[in-house]
Amino acid sequence: MPSTTLPPSPAGLRTVALGMPTADEIVSGTTRELSNRPRLPQTLGELEGAADDAAFLDTELPTEPMTINMGPSHPATHGTVRIVLTIDGETVKDADVQVGYLHRCFEKEAEYATYTQIFPYTDRLNYVSPLCNNVGYALAVEKLLGVTDRIPERAQYIRVIVSEISRITDHLTCLGASAMEVGGFTPFLWMIKAREWLWELLEELTGARLTHSYVRIGGVAQDLTPNFSERLRNTLHRAREAIEDTEKLIVKNRIFRDRMDGIAAFSAADAIAWGWTGPCLRSTGVPYDVRKDHPYLVYDRFDFDVPVGSVGDNFDRFAVRLEEIRQSMRILEQALVQIPPGPILMDDPRIAAPSKTAVYNTIEGMIGHFKLIVDGIKVPAGEVYSYIEGGNGELGFYIVSDGTGRPYKCHVRSPCFVIMQSLSKMIHGLGIADIIPTFGMINMIGGECDR
Amino acid sequence: MAEDLKTPIQTSPAAPASDMVTIKIDGRPVQVKKGTNVLEACLQHDTDVSYFCYHPGLSSPAVCRQCLVEVVGQPKLVPSCYTPVADKMEVVTSSPRVLLARQQMLEFTLVNHPVDCPICDKAGECALQKQYVDWDHTGSRTEFDKVHKPKAVDLGPTIVLDAERCILCTRCIRVCDEVAGQSQLTMAKRGDREILTTAPGQVLDNPYSLNTVDVCPVGALTSKDFRFTMRVWELYTTPSVCTGCATGCNIEIHHSQGEIWRLVPRENPQVNKFWMCDEGRFTYKQVRHRRFSSARIGQGRGLPGQLASLDKATAYAAERLKLLVEKLAGGTAGAIGLIFSAQAQNEALYGLRQLGEQLASKGVPVKTYVTGQKARPDRADNILRSADMNPNTQGAKILAGPAAGDFAALKADLTAGRIKAVWMVGEDLPVGEDLLPTAAALFDGLELFICQAVHDTPLVRRAQVQLPAAAWAEADGTFTNEKSLVQRARKAVEPAGDARSHLELLSLLGRKAGLGAAEKWQTSPRQAFLQMVGTIGGTVPPGSAPEAVPAAGFARAEWGRELLPVQLRFAHSRG
Repeated sequence: MPSTTLPPSPAGLRTVALGMPTADEIVSGTTRELSNRPRLPQTLGELEGAADDAAFLDTELPTEPMTINMGPSHPATHGTVRIVLTIDGETVKDADVQVGYLHRCFEKEAEYATYTQIFPYTDRLNYVSPLCNNVGYALAVEKLLGVTDRIPERAQYIRVIVSEISRITDHLTCLGASAMEVGGFTPFLWMIKAREWLWELLEELTGARLTHSYVRIGGVAQDLTPNFSERLRNTLHRAREAIEDTEKLIVKNRIFRDRMDGIAAFSAADAIAWGWTGPCLRSTGVPYDVRKDHPYLVYDRFDFDVPVGSVGDNFDRFAVRLEEIRQSMRILEQALVQIPPGPILMDDPRIAAPSKTAVYNTIEGMIGHFKLIVDGIKVPAGEVYSYIEGGNGELGFYIVSDGTGRPYKCHVRSPCFVIMQSLSKMIHGLGIADIIPTFGMINMIGGECDR
Repeated sequence: MAEDLKTPIQTSPAAPASDMVTIKIDGRPVQVKKGTNVLEACLQHDTDVSYFCYHPGLSSPAVCRQCLVEVVGQPKLVPSCYTPVADKMEVVTSSPRVLLARQQMLEFTLVNHPVDCPICDKAGECALQKQYVDWDHTGSRTEFDKVHKPKAVDLGPTIVLDAERCILCTRCIRVCDEVAGQSQLTMAKRGDREILTTAPGQVLDNPYSLNTVDVCPVGALTSKDFRFTMRVWELYTTPSVCTGCATGCNIEIHHSQGEIWRLVPRENPQVNKFWMCDEGRFTYKQVRHRRFSSARIGQGRGLPGQLASLDKATAYAAERLKLLVEKLAGGTAGAIGLIFSAQAQNEALYGLRQLGEQLASKGVPVKTYVTGQKARPDRADNILRSADMNPNTQGAKILAGPAAGDFAALKADLTAGRIKAVWMVGEDLPVGEDLLPTAAALFDGLELFICQAVHDTPLVRRAQVQLPAAAWAEADGTFTNEKSLVQRARKAVEPAGDARSHLELLSLLGRKAGLGAAEKWQTSPRQAFLQMVGTIGGTVPPGSAPEAVPAAGFARAEWGRELLPVQLRFAHSRG
């Protein structure tokens, strides 16, 4: 990186790190010199003169830029990502963020699986909120089938319930890790404990702790367990206590605030320009939430707020997620009251598998089941984009069907992949120690980002 | 069958206008040939009509009532497979009345159908499953027990009948009557007690019996060879050509994980229509049976020879060959014999021909011979089975050249010592198993005997260099059938052990022995094919049959595009 002379700076200001080009600059094609290294004294006279210059003495001595790898396998990053850093001392001068270490060919695999067989793959996208992915994918296929209005109401409520539980587990993971990343281990244990209670509940419901594959095209696989409402209320109560404890412990903690406040602040305009969604976008003050702005399932029947931040720094991203957990709990409590009895799967043999009684006792049910499993659900030719509010933001599925039982194309708009492109800009000029919390608050999930 | 796999059919010149009638299908006017039935007219014009008993290769008895359509002006629905088109006819295939009839027929057919899909070999390629999903897809309304009929009835050496699954379409009866010409099956009893059975005093043992399994729309007839071995939707299909005899029936190789599970006929109106013989279906067993799969250097004395790497064996052969070329150059000390097996593909034989030319250019006298499996006149019929048991007799004869000798000439030359060395592509000799050791003993006095073999036989053991060659389903290439039609065979599975295709072995050995370094034919079967059809050919004089000039088959031949194996489960959609 070429060094230039220090630009004349206002009195009293130390060198200011110039960021990556803003979106406006990218669009307009203007570039800025990224390095702002002060020019070193070249002659003895200059050195003597510099010794009298208070501003120069205040400047940290520059070093040669050094390129180091953070990752792809780094103990502090939760997610396999490689960040090639150019550092000047402790300061990040440039960062080349490389994702893709968890690429599993989800989109290509999907072209060779029937529509139903894709559910287990979606579990492995954002694997801390797998049910959101299940729901998002099912909604996309149902939109293409044109049966969105025919999903039984109870199934829609169940989908909301499992989505919100997943959102809570997603945020708990992110928040717990955030404290750990700046040195506090206790909140991590408390939050992961709360997450485990919720996952135990989901395990009871779906049969799996993490890889649920619970949603089906046309509904869900099983009805709620008999005492589900009671158990969920109880779990939410305990989880709320854990969150409050955590809040008391760290929100007013000086170390935590010093490490989170004002770090990696991002403006609302930039966030929109870089395609941010979800808690990260809301932390910048933009109240965009798919559940509110484009309600799906039965989200328009619940009373809940969309928390927004003001500065868009790491603490805002923390605070927005903390509040969203509470809002999700509100939704859950309302859903448990509103949920009607009734079927949980569409009654259409072309889409939903027949009952096991019919399969084992009638040839009609047997053939229907067989063809549904072997050939897959015949989805009319066409294309669809369907999107929901995932744990990290707008989770979109773009599916093209050619009329067969398998998608011709199944693309995922993964929210954290989009946000990851701005990590380099966010950490520019920060210290090395700030990379991990900033990366953590993006909540990059390898499965979702790399697909 | 996937669309891709169909042999391109040479379209006959458009019929004169007087032969065409105009009918309306669902309000759409279309032109069809006179004499076509309504069902065929609909299928030709992309209108889906369900059917069970109709088969394009058989007569139409209209027994299943599944193809009922409405013809404007007729009070009742008519069976479309039995109704010839007439000018200005208006056919309706999707009115509520027709759809209801279709649905009700399926419900009726399913009333007594057993819940057998999980144990049925047809599941996955079952017409009843498909029609039910396409046209009915409603639940069961019956409250009674199903009528029970005999299960696992042994009909003959190849086939087992499950009478409960039978939907009484009579396709199998018509296959025996019309294709095999032997009336061995019939219907007995009436109503819901009606069953398929062998005719009195008959066993289902005609040489085309397994076609009944192919045409059976359900799993009533199952092949003893295939049943309970493999689920069909797991199989991959590769189009190829049967190598059982000189007819060259078009087939699909159904394989999975490097194993062939069955061969089924592929439609080709020019060769085999929709059929193939039972013997042909079992030729897949030869791909694994008594395979010779690693190179050996012969020790003589009837011992099998020492195992060697392909590299070592070919290096040894090349060294010996070089010395021999030096010795024989000039043409007085004797000749090198090249043996073209009619079991091998054209491309391999073309490679051998090219090597022969190289040898000749070095002044070595070369003699060519065509051998193959022994003819079996007893099996020849006028249907599909040929007496010539080799898939490529025509090709071998053309590629070996007009001066090529037969097995008798080879024997005479070997006995008289006129040839000093033999390079044999394919281990086949037209002698029975019992006479093979005697025939093989003729090769003992040779200075060099190179044999590229698929199977391990006493003859192979006599060779000084024994190279393992790929079987027919393991290599890409073409075969020329008895009517001089050059047909493409495709590689379905990987060669066994160290085996390589004949062409690869020839290229490898040729390069090492200094007989051509980077000739076009040495690079790939496709390049060999292109070079071959560019140099070998002929034209058929107008007015004579295409088979009148056998070499003209090469000029008409096409390599075809590359295909990936398609899983049968997806054979009806994109691969």
